[in-house]
Amino acid sequence: MFDYSLIINGIIEGDAQTVQQFTKQALREKYPPDKILERGLIAGINIIAEKFKTERVLVPEVLRSTRAMHAGMAELQPYLKIKPNTSVKAVLGTVAGDLHDIGKFLVNMLVSSVGVTVIDLGVNVSPKKFVDAVRRERPVFLMMSALLTTTMWDMKEVIDELISAGLREQVKVIVGGTPITVEFAREIGADYYFEDAFELKNFLQDNFNKLKNK
Amino acid sequence: MLKGGIESNALKFLTDEDIKKIHQASMTVLAEAGVEIHERAALDLCAEKGARVDYDRNRACFNEDLVMQAVETAPSTVTIYGRGDDSRNITLGGTKVYMGTGGTALNVIDFDRKRRKTTVEDIAKTARLINGLDNIHFFVIPCYPNELDTEVVDVNRFYHSINNTTKPIMGGLFTEDGVDRVINMAAEIAGGLDKLVERPFISFISSILSPLKFDDVRTRMLMKISKAGLPVATSCAPLAGATSPVTLAGTLVQLNAEALSGVVLSQLVHPGAPILYSAVPTIMDMQTMSFLFGSVESGIMNAAAAQMAQFYKLPLYSTGGISDSKQPDQQAGYEKVLTALMPALAGANFIHEAAGQLDSGMTISYAQYVIDNDINGQVMRAVRGIEVDEYTLAAEVITKVGPGGNFLAEKQTAKKMRTEFYYPKVSNRTNYAGWEQAGCKDTWTLAEEVARQILENHTPDSIPEEIDKKIREMEPGIK
Repeated sequence: MFDYSLIINGIIEGDAQTVQQFTKQALREKYPPDKILERGLIAGINIIAEKFKTERVLVPEVLRSTRAMHAGMAELQPYLKIKPNTSVKAVLGTVAGDLHDIGKFLVNMLVSSVGVTVIDLGVNVSPKKFVDAVRRERPVFLMMSALLTTTMWDMKEVIDELISAGLREQVKVIVGGTPITVEFAREIGADYYFEDAFELKNFLQDNFNKLKNK
Repeated sequence: MLKGGIESNALKFLTDEDIKKIHQASMTVLAEAGVEIHERAALDLCAEKGARVDYDRNRACFNEDLVMQAVETAPSTVTIYGRGDDSRNITLGGTKVYMGTGGTALNVIDFDRKRRKTTVEDIAKTARLINGLDNIHFFVIPCYPNELDTEVVDVNRFYHSINNTTKPIMGGLFTEDGVDRVINMAAEIAGGLDKLVERPFISFISSILSPLKFDDVRTRMLMKISKAGLPVATSCAPLAGATSPVTLAGTLVQLNAEALSGVVLSQLVHPGAPILYSAVPTIMDMQTMSFLFGSVESGIMNAAAAQMAQFYKLPLYSTGGISDSKQPDQQAGYEKVLTALMPALAGANFIHEAAGQLDSGMTISYAQYVIDNDINGQVMRAVRGIEVDEYTLAAEVITKVGPGGNFLAEKQTAKKMRTEFYYPKVSNRTNYAGWEQAGCKDTWTLAEEVARQILENHTPDSIPEEIDKKIREMEPGIK
């Protein structure tokens, strides 16, 4: 019986090499990829999520653990049943004038881990680029991040442009980032706000099948 | 958590030249004015050991040789022990910094935010509270049990302190026979007087009055304690402008003379007895004639006193983290930081009054202990300063991350983030929305929550039952 705690501990330690090595080993020993994902990688990051909630780990440790999980994911990806073209799609980016990508990186990793295909537009993304991507990719979600109080209003501009382009109804808008609050999200007409990447991941996990069938 | 005993000499108000000048001026004061002593046995001892004694005026004058001989025989380090817990020992001397509580308040601001008279229960509760606060390294018995008869005050103050904390204890005394009774009680717990003297977990304060005066009772106490060989501070508290010169330099000269005269008397009684160079320099408010504890001048003088004690290679009893404010507010915050940070950065050994005190030392507050624990933690972080070595210089990490990258997910970040930064318990550090969501609580409220939680859940090792029974038989007045 493969010991999934080897992968779990690797994630808790934030050791990408260890996670990669044991994920490979589990695959060699013919354990089902979706089980390795669930009992190893997801189980590990869930422990970190819980510890983060109770302030027993800090952001750098979350980042390292997420990176480690991602290293395992990269090994699993070719074998997973959920193929990108059948899964839920999300377009992700940091708004214009804002170069922060740490939170966005976390969102990318965690959202990917539940089977969502992420199209990451990067940082300093203009409203036009966001709208073009929504038109082109037809994602379920548009996820926007802002770290500055001076750039957060760009999120409203993106939403306004989606409305002008007649695309607003076909996509759910999710916003996040340090200065963003639930009130702000409501004010600019976004659909969802999550306080951190783990909350977003939990939401997607709980609603994944519902979203997929839409 | 930052343990006490970290060293610092980052702050120096006095040059080597200044220190010598203060020393010389104090020698002149001790030789010419001398000190007034009202205990005949002490005057006799001074005369016998070569001091110039004027019995008509109760004066003893010490020349430099006699003073420096006492400085020589006094130990350069004094350890006060944790009761049954060596990890809590404090070794005073050099530039090692420890911070703790101070006394003696008559009032407390309780959890209902009303001010009332302190009782014996407040001694037990403050001892228990600080036992659970990492950045309070020792316990000076902080308040007076107003409801008790004077003859049982000393044993009660020490008993309830010992029973509720294993951190090193120091306390003032209110009755003359209290000295013997407290020593007997502590000896019972230690398993004999010799064991108590070898590893003292209690120590005493017996004050010298400014300017330059030893009253009879406190002198007898000091002599008794030194004879027993237990650590003692002489708590010299000149009030600049009133009981010492208005100039800070002048107050330092007088304070130095007073502190050294305490050392002299203890060493005449018992060469080698543990004695602390004791400094409580303060100023008077010239508008209101109020005694001021939390002044910036007090911070400066305490830092300078640390330099003087280091010059004599004597362990220091110092004062900081003090405030004249009446409640845990902004004034309390800035006065405490100012007066704690300066002596700490100068390497002051035993910074007392640095927890829980408000109202110029007359009032304590449960919430304030928790706030001060955070202030002390941050002060100790400053004392630790900047570690510079190949690993901390991090050239390799900077190169690896490169321009435009970030350091959050680097191994070094995860490894060092808990020790490079101090994490306060009761500061609001979230964004505005997060603060609102958590109930818009101020520091006072947050500190009350932490204090309540510690008092409800924390149980220190109390005095073993059998010994406790014996002590209560010896001292039936213990509540």
